Amino acid sequence: MKRVVFCGVGALGSHAAVLCRNLAAQLVFIDFDRVESKNLLSQAFVKPSLGKNKADALKAQLLNFFGIKAEAFGVRLGEDNVEVLLKQADLVVDCFDNVKSRTLLSRFATKNDTPLVHAGISGDGTFGLVRWDERFVADAEDTEGQATCEGGEHLPMLGFVASVLARTIQDFVVSGERRDAIVALTSATVTNATATVG
Amino acid sequence: MAILNITYAGLSADFPLESGLNLTDGDVRRIAVEVVRAGGVRGMTFAQLSDNAFDHYVVDRFTGPAGERRIYLRPKVPFGGRRSA
Repeated sequence: MKRVVFCGVGALGSHAAVLCRNLAAQLVFIDFDRVESKNLLSQAFVKPSLGKNKADALKAQLLNFFGIKAEAFGVRLGEDNVEVLLKQADLVVDCFDNVKSRTLLSRFATKNDTPLVHAGISGDGTFGLVRWDERFVADAEDTEGQATCEGGEHLPMLGFVASVLARTIQDFVVSGERRDAIVALTSATVTNATATVG
Repeated sequence: MAILNITYAGLSADFPLESGLNLTDGDVRRIAVEVVRAGGVRGMTFAQLSDNAFDHYVVDRFTGPAGERRIYLRPKVPFGGRRSA
């Protein structure tokens, strides 16, 4: 069974993980953050999860609602623990929200030849991106603390991008295919596809 | 010959470029403003598009499955940065 590690289970990662719950894969969640009330507007967390670590909360929700067993690490991923936490991963899913963490994952994936797919959404909620690491360059932030999608007004678009990401993960787990996609408000377009032996 | 894909205001569409092989990122942004403003990109009609509409957009270049050159002009997706995870 493949081990799929979600790095960051906030707006994109939490929804994508829920949509991957039927995969024949071991789902693993890494996130140091806690569920706040504002997160209920845009992330896949429910009210009883308030105050809990996001990784632990998502693990509990999958078990309680769907009977799915996952693993959770409620820690901040950094240089000191990236090797330990990701060394057994068959696929790493980057749903982090900042360049520094995305770059950390890219370095790990390159060094260890670990499949890594990145996902992100623009601050205005009109555009999403799913791209494999071999074609990925982290976008620079215009300003520190650039707008996020915390308010919930972009929830449908978050769901759209998370769905495309989940399908991308599914295709990789099932067949080894690596598809990139861009997601606009009205369409999702495959921009690159590489079939590999999974 | 290259295909320029422009994503703006939640819309995404292709525009054929006759000479897209040696364009700088700045060239791509300027061309995009002109063609969108002129209504040359299917589904995009923004006649009052400002000159700097794409200043903070990213230009990606790939080779398509049939060997065609594809250029993507798209918004950034840093998705925050308020907290590191």
